[in-house]
Amino acid sequence: MESNRIYEDLSGVQKRAQRVRVGVEVLFLVLAFFYWKTQVLDHKKYWKLSEKNRIREMVIPAPRGLITDRQGIILVKNIGSFKTSLLRENTTNLERSYGVISRLLGLPLEELKKRVAKYSAMPPFKPLPLKENLSLEEVAQVDARRLEMPELLIETEPKRQYLFGSFAVHVLGYLQEISTEELRSRRYRDRRLGDLIGKMGLEAEYEPFLIGRNGRAVEVVDSLGRKQGELEKIEPQTSPSLQLNIDFDLQKKAESLLEGKEGAVVVLDPRTGDVLAMASYPTFEPNKFINRFTPEEWQAVVRDPGTPLENRVIRGLYSPGSIFKLTMSLAALNLDVITEQTRFYCGGEVTFYGEQFSCWAAGGHGSLDLTSAIRESCNIYFYNLGKRMRIEDIARHAQWYGFGHPTGIDLPGEKEGLVPSPEWKKTRRKAIWYPGETISVAIGQGPLLVTPLQVAAHTAFIANRGRKIVPHLLNSATPLRREFSSPEGTDFLLRTGLRRTAFDKVIKGMWESVNREGTSKAAVIEGFDVCGKTGSTQTISAETAERLARRKKEVKTHSWFTGFAPKDKPEVVVTVLVEYGGGGGATAAPLARQLFQLYREIFRAKQ
Amino acid sequence: MIDRKLLSEIDWVLVGILLLNSALGCLLIYSASSQSPGNPYLRQAVFILISLVAMFLALSLDYKMLMAYSPYFYVLGLLALVGLMMWGRLISGTKSWFRLASLGLQPSELMKVFLILLLARLFAEFRRRFISAGMLLLSGGVVGLPLVLVILQPDLGTASCYLPLLFAVFVLAGMSRRQAVLLLILALISSLAIWSFVLTDYQKNRLVTLVTPGHDPQGTGYQIQQSKIAIGSGGLLGKGFKQGTQSQLNFLPARHTDFIFSVLGEEFGFIGILIAMSAYFLLLLRLFQTVALSRDRAGAYIVFQVAVLFSFQFLVNVLMVIGLLPVAGIPLPLLSYGGSSLLTSYLGIGLVLNVRMRRFVNV
Repeated sequence: MESNRIYEDLSGVQKRAQRVRVGVEVLFLVLAFFYWKTQVLDHKKYWKLSEKNRIREMVIPAPRGLITDRQGIILVKNIGSFKTSLLRENTTNLERSYGVISRLLGLPLEELKKRVAKYSAMPPFKPLPLKENLSLEEVAQVDARRLEMPELLIETEPKRQYLFGSFAVHVLGYLQEISTEELRSRRYRDRRLGDLIGKMGLEAEYEPFLIGRNGRAVEVVDSLGRKQGELEKIEPQTSPSLQLNIDFDLQKKAESLLEGKEGAVVVLDPRTGDVLAMASYPTFEPNKFINRFTPEEWQAVVRDPGTPLENRVIRGLYSPGSIFKLTMSLAALNLDVITEQTRFYCGGEVTFYGEQFSCWAAGGHGSLDLTSAIRESCNIYFYNLGKRMRIEDIARHAQWYGFGHPTGIDLPGEKEGLVPSPEWKKTRRKAIWYPGETISVAIGQGPLLVTPLQVAAHTAFIANRGRKIVPHLLNSATPLRREFSSPEGTDFLLRTGLRRTAFDKVIKGMWESVNREGTSKAAVIEGFDVCGKTGSTQTISAETAERLARRKKEVKTHSWFTGFAPKDKPEVVVTVLVEYGGGGGATAAPLARQLFQLYREIFRAKQ
Repeated sequence: MIDRKLLSEIDWVLVGILLLNSALGCLLIYSASSQSPGNPYLRQAVFILISLVAMFLALSLDYKMLMAYSPYFYVLGLLALVGLMMWGRLISGTKSWFRLASLGLQPSELMKVFLILLLARLFAEFRRRFISAGMLLLSGGVVGLPLVLVILQPDLGTASCYLPLLFAVFVLAGMSRRQAVLLLILALISSLAIWSFVLTDYQKNRLVTLVTPGHDPQGTGYQIQQSKIAIGSGGLLGKGFKQGTQSQLNFLPARHTDFIFSVLGEEFGFIGILIAMSAYFLLLLRLFQTVALSRDRAGAYIVFQVAVLFSFQFLVNVLMVIGLLPVAGIPLPLLSYGGSSLLTSYLGIGLVLNVRMRRFVNV
């Protein structure tokens, strides 16, 4: 200490300084503890947070599957379509860009700015779609300025294309943007806003199959969500094509036959239930749904009194009219109300329950057995059956034969129709059933309602002599398991006690109707043994019809024909309905004849 | 000017520790800014060289002489701060920089050195047991003037660095308990007064957003949260050099300046943190030890102020990045990127070297 004397005594100052030093040392220890806790003890928690920060999973949507006809002709496919987007982070002068883009794409400046303003909340590296469905010319113009305008991007996206326009449109359906309600449902839980989903027809029915399997990309992103690299990628898998039972040529023919009318046509194979053609008229343009309707066009489609969006084959409800006489015959034979030989006399008019009923042939048909009654479509004969049968029995048999419930076809929205019964009338109409109504039902009038597809399935049931089929569009060549066997099973006839012979008796009448100068004679084809039945449905009450007839006004009825060929080993069922087409024999039967003819050319040639 | 005897008295251990920490900073800046434009780590290396030269040049002058001139430095610094208020450029929301060529100079940083010198001069002959009221007011005023000017920039972080200097001289001068309590009350009242009478609404707003980064699009506390994730996910050994996902993918804000320690924690883990803290601890230890080696009272004041300033900045920054203190905008001396901060640190260390090498009276 001796040597320190020449210096000032600073011990007090030094003591204070050392105290602060100790304080700092303690703080260092505390600090080390906190870092140890965060980095070692809580490491897992923060590790997970940092992984979640940087990793993003992306869905790579698979292109939708193709749809082909039974021969493999592609009906629906995807085409590349070009759209151009604005990448804001690539431009330094947005105002200048607007000017150039507006001139380049022919978009008004105001509209362009409004569009960008709508998305202003999105980060600047996300492309904002400016214009879709660019023409090749526009693509070339944008592409040529790629270097001077890096903010304009050209992107391709797959777009659904219905190659033959409105061809089979009610069968194929269409796509539409997913709605917010649908987004919340389980069925669409993997879809995102802006996705197109099937809204009708097969596009909707086989949506899960057609979308294929989406791919997945796991990306590393930065804090702004920009992609920095890729960790994992699973390529999307496109679904195999959906092959249909529809035959291109038959379908085309069916549609051309209906052109200018309102109506429906079904052609199916009674052996399997394969639907070879299904046409509904009027139609619409499905590609419009993809390329967006203008509001005027959409209103026009929705408000069209011809309801072009409706598939009349499965959703059109009509009185079966004289077609129902086949059902009545089968029921009466099976209930032993009549035999084949039972005869009734038709004098043109008959009175039951104090009410007068008349036949369509003014002078009457004279004495008829079952076969000739079907051939001539005699009303009086079937009024007599209605007089002798209970409505409950008629309803039960009609349901057995395929009415009053959906056929089970692989299309969404099929209607079930209506088979009336006293119980139905009590609950729905709050009234009792009058026996006179049974008389109307006997010739297919009254509250009875059927779809053209039900009539076709019913015809196949007769042609098969009591074996039921489920009509379906899905061809067995498609790698998609789906059973189309009737829920009634193969022992249907045994369980119900229906007799096979009854079918042969009805078929005899149908054959004569076509081949022996009956009401269906316009459907005759030499050597093809067409069997059929016509129907002309009153669309207004009988009194109104008479009143109009007296004033020499034309009364148009719905025009039906249903039939099959050949008689012994049936291969094809054709059902035609033309709304307000007049007599079934005059309007529907000749159309059916052309379809039988074409079927024979196509399928017989193959065999 | 400097004879060889003096040269041999330079504390080369301290210089070594100084360079070690600077090199570590350069390495971290290199990793943190590999995706930023320019090469901040190269600029930092140039800053180190410039600062080193400045430091040795300053060594040639006796700290007594520097102290003698300190009032002029102080006034010069004040003029610069006032000049900034009028002509300064707005950079990231504050008027803190003068631009010289491409280098920005931050007078508020250099003001720290001027304050150290002036306060040492004021207390050089103060020998009472406890600090007098007159000295308290005088030193408070000396520090308060630039403090208010810097708060007005507004740069709360740098302004708050002036307070530990005041704290240091009060501690060394000695305070009774009553004085300490009074001082605390005075501090509270004056900050309230500044808030309500001096600051305009606009400045208050900017202060609030500085303290609580609510202007952040992803919500308050986003920066701290991301910094904690970075440090915590580093674990014991870290993710590796330039492998930090938080820092390399831009999740970390201000990652080569105020949040450089988070980069260290993420890429080198707890081990890296311990090493860096040890290196820093050695530096602080050496500074505190030098207090005892001072020849006179003024020297002790200078060294102690430097030691407390370094301790304060280090602790506040490191507590901030782990979420124990609010975001204050205080850089980590020597490790964070920034020329003015680096120059100030080197000049501060230079003063300590100066005091130590002139610790013998008869040289």
